[in-house]
Formats: sequence, C-alpha cells, structure tokens
Amino acid sequence: MRLTVNGRHHDLPPSPAVTLLELLRDRLSLTGTKLVCDRGECGACTVQLDGEIVYSCLTLAEACDGSSVLTVEGLSSGGADSALSPLQRAFIAKDAAQCGFCTPGQLIAAHTLLANNPAPTDEEIRAGMSGNLCRCGTYPNILAAIRAVAEGEFEAAPAAGATRAS
Amino acid sequence: MPRKSKTAAKPGGFVSTTVEIEGRTETRIVEMPAFEPAAWGDDAELGIVGSRVPRMDAPERVTGRARYTADITRPGMLYAFILRSTIPRGTIRSIDLTRASKMPGVFDVLGPGDAPAGTRLFNREIFYAGQPVAAVCAENENAARNAAHAIAVEYDALPFAVTFEDASAKNAPRVRAKGNVMENAPLVMSRGDIDDGIKAADVIVRREYRTPVQLHTALEPHGAAAEWEGDRLTVWESTQGIFRVRGDIAKALDIALSKVRVIKDYMGGGFGAKNSAGPHTYVAAIFAKRQGRAVRCINDREAEQLDSGNRPSSTQRVTIGAKKDGTLTVIFASIDVPLGISGYEGGPGQIFHEMYACPNVRTEETFAYVNASGMAAFRGPGYVEGAFGLECAMNTLAKGLKLDPIALRKKNFTKREPRQDRPYSGNNLLACYKEGAEAFGWLTENRKPTTENSKRVGKGVAAQVWPTGGGPPAYALLRINPDGTIDVLAGTQDLGTGARTVLSQIAAESIGAKLSDVRAIIGDTESLPYTGNSWGSMTTASVGPAVRMAAEDAQHQLFEAAAAMLDSSPSSLEARDSRIIVRDTDRSMTFAEVTKKLGNVMIMGKGSRGPNPADTAIMTFGAQFAEVEVDIDTGIVRVLRFTAAHDAGRIINPTLAESQLEGGIIQGIGYALFEERILDRKRGLVMNPTMHDYKIPTMADIPVIDAFFVSGADPVANHTGARGIAEPPIIPTAPAIAAAVSDAIGVEMTEIPLTPWRVLAALKKARAGR
Ligand code: FES
Ligand code: FES
Repeated sequence: MRLTVNGRHHDLPPSPAVTLLELLRDRLSLTGTKLVCDRGECGACTVQLDGEIVYSCLTLAEACDGSSVLTVEGLSSGGADSALSPLQRAFIAKDAAQCGFCTPGQLIAAHTLLANNPAPTDEEIRAGMSGNLCRCGTYPNILAAIRAVAEGEFEAAPAAGATRAS
Repeated sequence: MPRKSKTAAKPGGFVSTTVEIEGRTETRIVEMPAFEPAAWGDDAELGIVGSRVPRMDAPERVTGRARYTADITRPGMLYAFILRSTIPRGTIRSIDLTRASKMPGVFDVLGPGDAPAGTRLFNREIFYAGQPVAAVCAENENAARNAAHAIAVEYDALPFAVTFEDASAKNAPRVRAKGNVMENAPLVMSRGDIDDGIKAADVIVRREYRTPVQLHTALEPHGAAAEWEGDRLTVWESTQGIFRVRGDIAKALDIALSKVRVIKDYMGGGFGAKNSAGPHTYVAAIFAKRQGRAVRCINDREAEQLDSGNRPSSTQRVTIGAKKDGTLTVIFASIDVPLGISGYEGGPGQIFHEMYACPNVRTEETFAYVNASGMAAFRGPGYVEGAFGLECAMNTLAKGLKLDPIALRKKNFTKREPRQDRPYSGNNLLACYKEGAEAFGWLTENRKPTTENSKRVGKGVAAQVWPTGGGPPAYALLRINPDGTIDVLAGTQDLGTGARTVLSQIAAESIGAKLSDVRAIIGDTESLPYTGNSWGSMTTASVGPAVRMAAEDAQHQLFEAAAAMLDSSPSSLEARDSRIIVRDTDRSMTFAEVTKKLGNVMIMGKGSRGPNPADTAIMTFGAQFAEVEVDIDTGIVRVLRFTAAHDAGRIINPTLAESQLEGGIIQGIGYALFEERILDRKRGLVMNPTMHDYKIPTMADIPVIDAFFVSGADPVANHTGARGIAEPPIIPTAPAIAAAVSDAIGVEMTEIPLTPWRVLAALKKARAGR
C-alpha cells in the first residue's frame, strides 16, 4: 500500500489488522502521535487524513491506501525552533502544553480547525476542540493560542531562538 | 553574595527537621548545608526569577520530539501484557498458561508462583477485580494481549465487600486478613470540647456530605521499559519519583541499589498516582531478565482506570456551630472512607483542624479496606474531600447566620496554624479573600436568578489551606562547561509542572547567567544527585533552594578564577547575563572567556536543601469563586465564570504557576460535576473504566478562568521565598461550585458530582417537601 506521511511517500507491505496509529508509531517510528484510550474517546491520536481529522486508533491502515497523512512531526519544517508553525509557536507562548501528552493531537485538531475556519469564534473553538481531552487542564491556554493564531499574532516567523527567553 | 547560616547548628553537622508530605509530618535527620544563601525577601532585586519565560522544554512537546515511556524502543525489544482478575474476591482454582505460551509471537508467560515474592505479583488469592493474575511477553503488543486473553482461569469465588457499609457491617466478609478497618479503630484528632462548643453556639448546622471516587486519568498511562546488561538493570519509567522506584525495584528483586538505574525523561502527567514502582515495572524487569532482551510494559486504558490508584470516596457527617456574630464555637466531623484494598495518604479530617480559628474541633475518621483497587495520593489527598464537607458546611452556616460567606471566613481567620498551634511562615489568606472577591465582583455583580426561563444563575465561594513547605533531603550540582554554558543536575522529575524551567530560572538568577545558557538535567538515578518524589507540591520548595546554593557555590569559584584574570578581588565582582563585571569599572569578562581560559578545569557547585524553620507552619492558601448556570429542566450545570486567588509565597514563573492553578481548577470542575467511578455493589466490578464512561472535562465545559497569585515572598519558608502550588488549586473548587449551584436553585447540594440526575432529584425532593 502507498501512503504519504508529512509529504514523504511510503511504499508499505500490506498490514491487515493494523491501525493507522500503529503504522505511524511502530512501523514509521513517528512517535509524536500518542495512544491513550485506543477506542476513539480522547483525541490524543488525532491526525489529518486527506485534510480531515481522524482518530488514528480507530482507522485501519489498509483503508488509507493512497492517502495523505499529516502528523505533529509534519507541522514544523525542520528541527530548529525557527521552523515551528505559527500554531506551535502560539502553543509555546501561551503555555498551552503542560505534560504535553495530549498536545500532538490538540495541535492537529487546531491546525485543521483553522484550515477550515480561519476566524473561529470562541464558541466554535470550544466546540471544535472538545474531542481532544487534556487532563492537565490546558484548555484556556489552547483556546488563547488558537485565537492568537486566528488573529495573526504569530504570522511572521520569529528570529531563531526567540521562543527562548534570554 | 552574603553568606550566612540561619540556624545555630554548624555546617556539616546534622540536625533534626520536620517535613510535611501530603499532609503527613515526617521527622528527618539532615546535614546542615555548608552555607545558606541569604533569603530572597520581597525587596530582592530579581530579573529572571519571577518572570514569565516560556516553558523551556515546550519546543520538544509541540513537535512530537519529547520522548515518553511508551516511545522508548530498544533493539530486540519485547512487549508485555498483564491479565487481571475478573472477580473481586476468591482464589484461583486453576490457571492454564500452556495455550497462551504456544500462541504465535509469544516468548514467555508468568503466572502464580513465577514472580519473586518481593513483587507480590500473581497471588492465587484474589482481593479485588483488576488484580494481576498472569502476564505474557510477546513480539508485539497485540500478540501479548491476545495470548493473555487466551489464558484460562477458574476461580472459586468468595464473599466480598466493596462499600464502606458492607465492609464495616457486623458479619462482613474478611476483606484483608488483619481486619477490615485500618488499625481496627477510628483516627481521632481533637482539641477543646465538642459539647462545650455546641452549647456555646447560637446557630448549628448538621449535614451529611458525600464525595465520589475520582480517577487520576493521566493521559500517559503507567508504564516501564526494562533492560538488563549483565546484572545491571535499567528501567525507563513514567514516575514522580525515580529514586523511590529504584528503591522499590531493588527491594522487590533483591538487588543492590547500585545495580538499578531508573530514567524518566518526559512524563505525561502523574497527579499522585505515579509515586512508586508497580506491577508493570516488575513484569517488564522479570521478563527482560528471563528473555535477555528489553521488555516494555504499558498499561492499557482499562488497566489504568481500573488499577492505578484513585481518590477514595467519603461520607462526612459534619456539625458546625457559631455565635450570632459568626465566631465559630464547634467543628465536628465523623468520616467514613473506603480505601480500597490498600493505601492511606492522610484523610479528610486534617483540614477541619487547620482552616479556621475554632476552640473546639474534633474529627473521627474510619478507614475501611474494601475489595477494590487500592487508593493512591491524588492531588491534595484528603484535603480535597475534607474541604467539600467543611466548606459546604461553612456556606450553609453563613446562610443560617445571615452573614456573607466571605465575612464569615474572615471572622474566623486564624493568625496561627491552629492544629499544632504554630506560627505561619507567611499567610496572605485575607488578601486572597479580598483580591479574589474584587476580581470576581463578589459584592457588586449580582445576576439575579431569573424565573423567566429554565436557567438559574448562582455564585459560591470556598477557601483552602495545604502544607507546602517541602524540605530536605534534596541535592543539586551545577557545572560550568568550557564554553560557559551551564548544566544544572538534580535527580528530580518534571511531570508537566515546569520543574525544568523553574530550576533553570533559579540557577540563572543565582549565578548571574543568561537563561538560554542554562539547561536543567533531571530524571536519572545513575548520574544525578538525590531529590525526593515530586509529590506534596514539594519540588520547587525542596529542590529550588538546593539549586540556588549550588549556583552560588559555583559563582563563588568562578569569581575566584575571574578575579585573577581581571586583576581584581572576588568581592568586587558581580555577574549578570553570563558576564562578570568588576563593580564601578568598565572591566568585565564573559563566563565563556573565563572558562575558556580554564579549559577543562571545571567549576562545579554543590548545593543541598537545608532544614525547615523549627515549629513553623508552611502553607499555601487560596479562595475560589464560581458563578454557575443551572437548567432546572435538564439538571445540567454550566460553570460560567471562575476566579481564584492563591498565596504561595514567591512565584518563580507566573505563567507556569497560573497554568497549574487552571489545571487544578479544571480537575476540580470535573470532580464537582462529572467524575465518579461506579462500582457495582452486587458484582464488585467497576462499571466505567473507560474515558467515555468516566467523564473528565472537555474544552467545551470550561469557563473563563481568572486565576492569580496575591503577591508576597516567603523568606521564612526557605531562601527562595517560594512555597508549593501544584495541589492547592483543586482543593476548594468543588465546594465553591456546589455553593453556586445551591444558590442558583435554592436547594442545598450535599453530594458530588452534580450530575443532571442528581440535580433533578434534589429539585424534585425539594418540591415534594414544600
Ligand atoms: S487514542 Fe485514539 S481517541 Fe484516544
Ligand atoms: S498537557 Fe497534559 S494532558 Fe494535556
């Protein structure tokens, strides 16, 4: 089967009974996407599949043949902080990740929300993000981060290292 | 830097000090540090400490680069799955492991008698549903799980008790061999005389309050990966206490501490449930030894919700009385707590003795063992449950006295910690009431409950204390690399709290470095000095001072070296932004210029946490305010606004600290409105071990939260002036919300969570009684 993940093409052996999440984590070593409930209840495993968000724990890998997947690893264009996406920089600036375990799923959900609705109201953000649980309670900061990106606060790329205070 | 010792004991000597952990007081013999830095008081001129720098490891967390335990892979690694009992009490009549061991991909199987006695694993006697009975090790997780479910177990069931009532009944089945009630007697704490207090009261409130079992539900489950190299074991574990886990493993497997290394890098939340090694740890280590390969064992969600600790439920019969002017005369509570099969982390009673000035206070707490998974500390253990009873009763009393609930609390403010009659290191609770009430608009904003539609609005308040002094032992090292960058080494852990950032800030401030030059290295027992568990809101106040001392020690050495190069004396030097300046001159050198000249001659500072001030209560305080809307047709409660004002001494990083406040409040909203483990009394099984049926708050449930700190360093507590903040914010949330709901619908709510059916039932009962 063929799969494009974060812009990279993969030719993979058939993998019946393997979820997209297992494929990403175990076969492609993309461990940014997390397993939490394994049954579509928490959103930690959220990835984008052909532009739509899916719970990768509930998605069969075989059903994704020919599709294109975006994971948290695909949001930044490299390793350096300067290559972080506006949303990632907003998450840092607004302290929207405490333990960070829900964060990859939150980022993909937020990224997709903004792609479909570039100027969401707070109510639309709350409704759109309510499929992604966070036990550390970062919701107010995630909301602030999404709102800030929608308002263009993080459009320009910062100078390298600017996410770290000096 | 001024150096002074704050106690008479001489440096290097040993003294006795007390440390309060999760409300328990422990006495420890500790070494006096070689010197103690002068305390940072309110007037200390600090630039990096107290500033809102972003979480330093956030880039790793937002890119997926942060590695958690389930992300650890090792060459040739195998995977383990634990099979758990499906009955609450009985014995295993037979267990057949052969079929499982022959299934594809299976390497090894463990059952009764196969684990070292020290692990207490795979007992034939079953004490609760969810108890480990066997484990499988296979080439992948699915193979291990499938094989485990192919193990045939036959049980001889025995009578069981899963509720307090059933376990404490006259002819109750034996839950544990030593008896069903802890210590076979209630725990009694008392001051004054209850009868005197009742006689002296003008108004008395008597109520029964109930709180549910709350599950930690950290998104990252418990888990470990283990690998042996000869007789040395390395374990990657998601834990709040690497040294404690190291000790647990060494003891259970009977190996030397020096042969066990525990590593914890990133961690996806703990909230009190990850304080020790567990079945997953031992299973990984045993299989890894038997197979000569690394083994990873991660709880699945069902195991996590079923058997990884919980906040026990409580029933609290509270009597509280006051004079007409609001002066409390009596507080009495008789409390029942079913602990599960094991565990005790202090009870709901203590806060009744500590929150208010009242001459007559008594609590009688009975802790029963029941046939359910054991409890574990959960953010503010005991105080969260106790605050619900105490603060609900206070709000009802205020109503009875026709007093404002904040006025009633102010009236009973205590200037000394009343349980042990000690002075406070600092106490700004009155400022929390004042600034919180102002920010919320407690007196000015009165949205009158409407009667036009089904929505009713109400407001409520509650307060909190929590012992947060931290204490020794905790050690830190600081080394300056030849390029002038700085490593802070401390064997602590960052659960998502921001410890890495906060410790880096303290180090940078103390040594005079740029924050970007500093890196905190934590989470490895082999290479880092000891610190205790990250529990009891202790890390900043315990490890922070050790880091500060290490930084000052290193700065002292750096100045010695630089003085010769700058043709000056150490006492004329100061440091800022990684530059050493000769005071009142334009001569200076960067740290890197100095260390480059030193080459590999390394400057290393050493720090340790000194003793706590004697006979002093070190506590964090707070007041919270809620506005809710209740739909009286559906029973649905929505929190509309929430304000929280807390006093935790100096705040090292307000942004991260406010995140902790919000996190605690949001868990408190869950506790107040949704969260409740449901245990079937007839079958002894948990009915909702999933995240769908055990509901934690979502973003849609969370109102605008205004959470902040009142100002004021606490130089008496320790020389950084900081106290702990992780647990306090969850303590008063539920009673504040319950008060708001009671205010909205005019019916007193005495049991949480305030689910729609519970609200509707209360409304119905009230209507029927009218
Ligand atoms: S892990 Fe997929 S929704 Fe929870
Ligand atoms: S940041 Fe910890 S679960 Fe969301």
